[in-house]
Amino acid sequence: MSPVPPNPLLEQFISESRDLLEASGKKLMQLEDAPDDQVILNELFRCVHTLKGNSGLFTFPEMTRVLHAGEDLLGMVRSGQAIYSRELADRLLDAMDYVGLLCGEIEATDGIDASRALESQHLADALRKLMPNLIPNQDAAAVRDGDSPVVANAQTSPADNPSADLKQFAAIPAVARKSALERCRQGDQLHWISYRPQRECFFHGDDPLNSARQTPGLIWGRILAPGPLPPLSELDTYSCLLGFDLLTNAPREELDQYYRYLPDQVEIIAVPAQWLEKGHGDADGASKALSRAIPSGSFSEDDEAAFNWILAAQRQILLLDDRPAWHAGRLKAIAEVLANLSQAVGETSTRSDIQTALAEALSTGHNTLLLAWLDAWIVTRKTIQPVAGLSWARGTDGIMAAAKTDSNLDVGSATAGDPSKAPADEGVRFGRRAEDSLTGTRSLKVDQTKIDRLMNLIGELVVEKNALPYLAQRAEVQFGSRELSREIKGQYSVINRIADEMQDAIMQVRMMAVSFVFQRFPRLVRDTSRKLGKEVQLVLEGEQTEADKNIIESLADPLIHIVRNSLDHGLESPEVRLAAGKPATGKLTIRAAQEADRVVIEIVDDGKGIDPAVIKQKAYEKGIIDEATLERISDQEAINLIFAAGLSTAAVISDLSGRGVGMDVVRSAVEKINGTVVIESELGKGTSIRISLPLSMAVTQVMVIESDGQLFGVPMDHVIETVRVTRDSIHAIKQTKTAVLRGRIVPLKSLNTLLGIAAIPRLNSDDELAVLLVQAGNAELGLIVDGFQETMGVIQKPFSGFLTGLSAYSGSALMGDGSVLMILNIREIV
Amino acid sequence: MRRILIVDDAATVRMYHRGILESAGYLVEEAWNGIEALEKALEAPFDLYIVDINMPKLDGYGFLRELRQQQIAQQPAVMVSTEAAAGDERMAYQSGANSYLVKPVVQSQLLSHVRLLLGEANQ
Repeated sequence: MSPVPPNPLLEQFISESRDLLEASGKKLMQLEDAPDDQVILNELFRCVHTLKGNSGLFTFPEMTRVLHAGEDLLGMVRSGQAIYSRELADRLLDAMDYVGLLCGEIEATDGIDASRALESQHLADALRKLMPNLIPNQDAAAVRDGDSPVVANAQTSPADNPSADLKQFAAIPAVARKSALERCRQGDQLHWISYRPQRECFFHGDDPLNSARQTPGLIWGRILAPGPLPPLSELDTYSCLLGFDLLTNAPREELDQYYRYLPDQVEIIAVPAQWLEKGHGDADGASKALSRAIPSGSFSEDDEAAFNWILAAQRQILLLDDRPAWHAGRLKAIAEVLANLSQAVGETSTRSDIQTALAEALSTGHNTLLLAWLDAWIVTRKTIQPVAGLSWARGTDGIMAAAKTDSNLDVGSATAGDPSKAPADEGVRFGRRAEDSLTGTRSLKVDQTKIDRLMNLIGELVVEKNALPYLAQRAEVQFGSRELSREIKGQYSVINRIADEMQDAIMQVRMMAVSFVFQRFPRLVRDTSRKLGKEVQLVLEGEQTEADKNIIESLADPLIHIVRNSLDHGLESPEVRLAAGKPATGKLTIRAAQEADRVVIEIVDDGKGIDPAVIKQKAYEKGIIDEATLERISDQEAINLIFAAGLSTAAVISDLSGRGVGMDVVRSAVEKINGTVVIESELGKGTSIRISLPLSMAVTQVMVIESDGQLFGVPMDHVIETVRVTRDSIHAIKQTKTAVLRGRIVPLKSLNTLLGIAAIPRLNSDDELAVLLVQAGNAELGLIVDGFQETMGVIQKPFSGFLTGLSAYSGSALMGDGSVLMILNIREIV
Repeated sequence: MRRILIVDDAATVRMYHRGILESAGYLVEEAWNGIEALEKALEAPFDLYIVDINMPKLDGYGFLRELRQQQIAQQPAVMVSTEAAAGDERMAYQSGANSYLVKPVVQSQLLSHVRLLLGEANQ
């Protein structure tokens, strides 16, 4: 009976849940700024509502319980019964985090570990505590679990039968509950059995588990520990500490007979249907009567239940005495349903009768004839006994009473206006299309490995196509066919263009907005600043700036670290800020922008800034700089020391940004993806950290240089310019060769020396040396090489295996002629 | 083949219902809110509607009212809700639903409902 989902459904569930969780988080953040915004609140409610509804398709009670509590709470906020507060937001965020966690667990293991139940209960309780007018204890929470509205009954039913504590029914899962209700509607009496075996029962020859399992008419059951369990070491395996709760549809006599030897251990309570389900209780009598009117031969149990249900529903609709604008349509639909029902039970001749009754109802505005037909039909289906007839009447009264109270309801409230006018208003809205909605986006989710594969393939294509010019050359030189050579070149240019475009297109697919990383900051800043007792306003700019997925992803950790540092060490507490003449609320700005072929991200705070004196002193104490350096270095250089390993500026080590490890890690993480990080700080005013990253890592522009007959690539990110320096303009200062370039003294180093090549740099005919001016970190350096060649875009492949230790190179790339170009790692070799 | 429209903003629920109905040989279409459902229904009426309550833009009640208001042939509609609340059920009937089921709807239960509402003789 229980809906066993096929795997794709579970995948869909997880994926949709993730989207909904993300949306909920975002909405909660927005609500923080505008707690009265009904639109956002409604959207948030719907997110949680949908999440809960979806989770109900599976058996994830831990998840459903928390979501249900969240939904109820939000429902109360929406209706003004509960007030939105920071605490409320905190609890909801906790709940969402937990659900996210469960999603991960379900994805990994297809289920939820049983140990999660307690946590789920705590979270649900925490949410329910925030609800006013509701007993915030576990029982109330438990009763509301599943999808049963038992709470509505809670005020009345326990009084009728004190021994039947309603919270027990909450444990019954919806599926079992439903099946029980269906039995009930077919006239069965349900019984709740609470069986508490004696501790020493095993010595009496009892087999409680077996007894419980063999209980006649068992619909559902559970094992529970009625009392506290002793510690494991003291547990006596020969005493029974467990009990059973069972729900059955067997008659009382049969149960009494079955448990006749255990009367003192078993309590049997008759369970009326409405204890399990409210709202349908009044239709039960009718259903009971109806069930006897149906030919049971061709009908399954479900069919019978559905038949009764639908028939009762049509009757209930006919008894409504409101006359809305859509009344005629509603009547027609009922007539259609009645005709279909009778067709389904093989009575096709009734269709004309129904049509007559419908026509009458439509012309007079009274449903009497239709209702009479319906009742007559039920009666002509015979065998309704007097007693059943009575309960039918009682049921009718119930429905009528319900309909009466209902007419006081403002039906129009849902359409916000006069119901008779509402349709016209809504008619105007047909023009809207689904595309302008959030969930209707025309996007496609693709596994990343598929994109990566495309990326690799295009990489190979780019390299392979570079072989064509060589082929053209050979055709001309080796085979003397200039025409063929020209044709090959022509083809090459076409393929080249297509390959370029294709590469560009695939890169576009891999492009991701930085909002992917930014979106977690509102939460992070909020939680962290509150933990620290600071007031922080977060400003995010340029969230739509895009870069390659890998770049964006590797940006996350360094950014988080910087933000934490800012919150922890940069921004001051409100008191300190006020004393310094600043507004109590600190400001943290995270800004992204594209500058040429790079993405620049700035993290700016208006905190206390970095004191160069403190840094210098710390660095000296830790032996990072010597005394001479201490005297000499500028303030900016001192601030840059923050990137040195092992330097902590925090007076108190906090658990947030750690021990000041971090900034050096940040720098190495950024540099790993060919980025740079620059810090500026003004004491008392604030700190600004600027990260510059390439848009994409896939294609690296390199300048090809020659040294001792070999070719090397230097990433263009590092190249400042190429110059020729005459030999006599090179001077030696303290054993270092230098040259004056554009008015500055630049140290020169021979690439041969750096790579351990014995050959001396070649001079050209004008007695000049080729110098490649490169940027290494914050310093400039002239690399003496033998010659420059062209710049080209290459797909750089990092080394693997034994070659990973070659730190002088950042990787290799294939050239068009099939040869391998080694890409220099400038920072490492200088 | 009988055509059924599933109106629900939860993709998971749509997929679940679609799976059940398609395996029983029905032709299923989906709409993710009331407006989209109306557009589809007005284009070509379906034989049966399975409608969620809480949806963006136009909820299930609104959709049914509009559907019933349009004086075209009236096909049965089932409202599915996460709540077994009497108020919701009455509201569903008032709006023009012919039946009210509580999610999650078990496969056999849904199919019984659908077959009966479509007037299909039982095998």
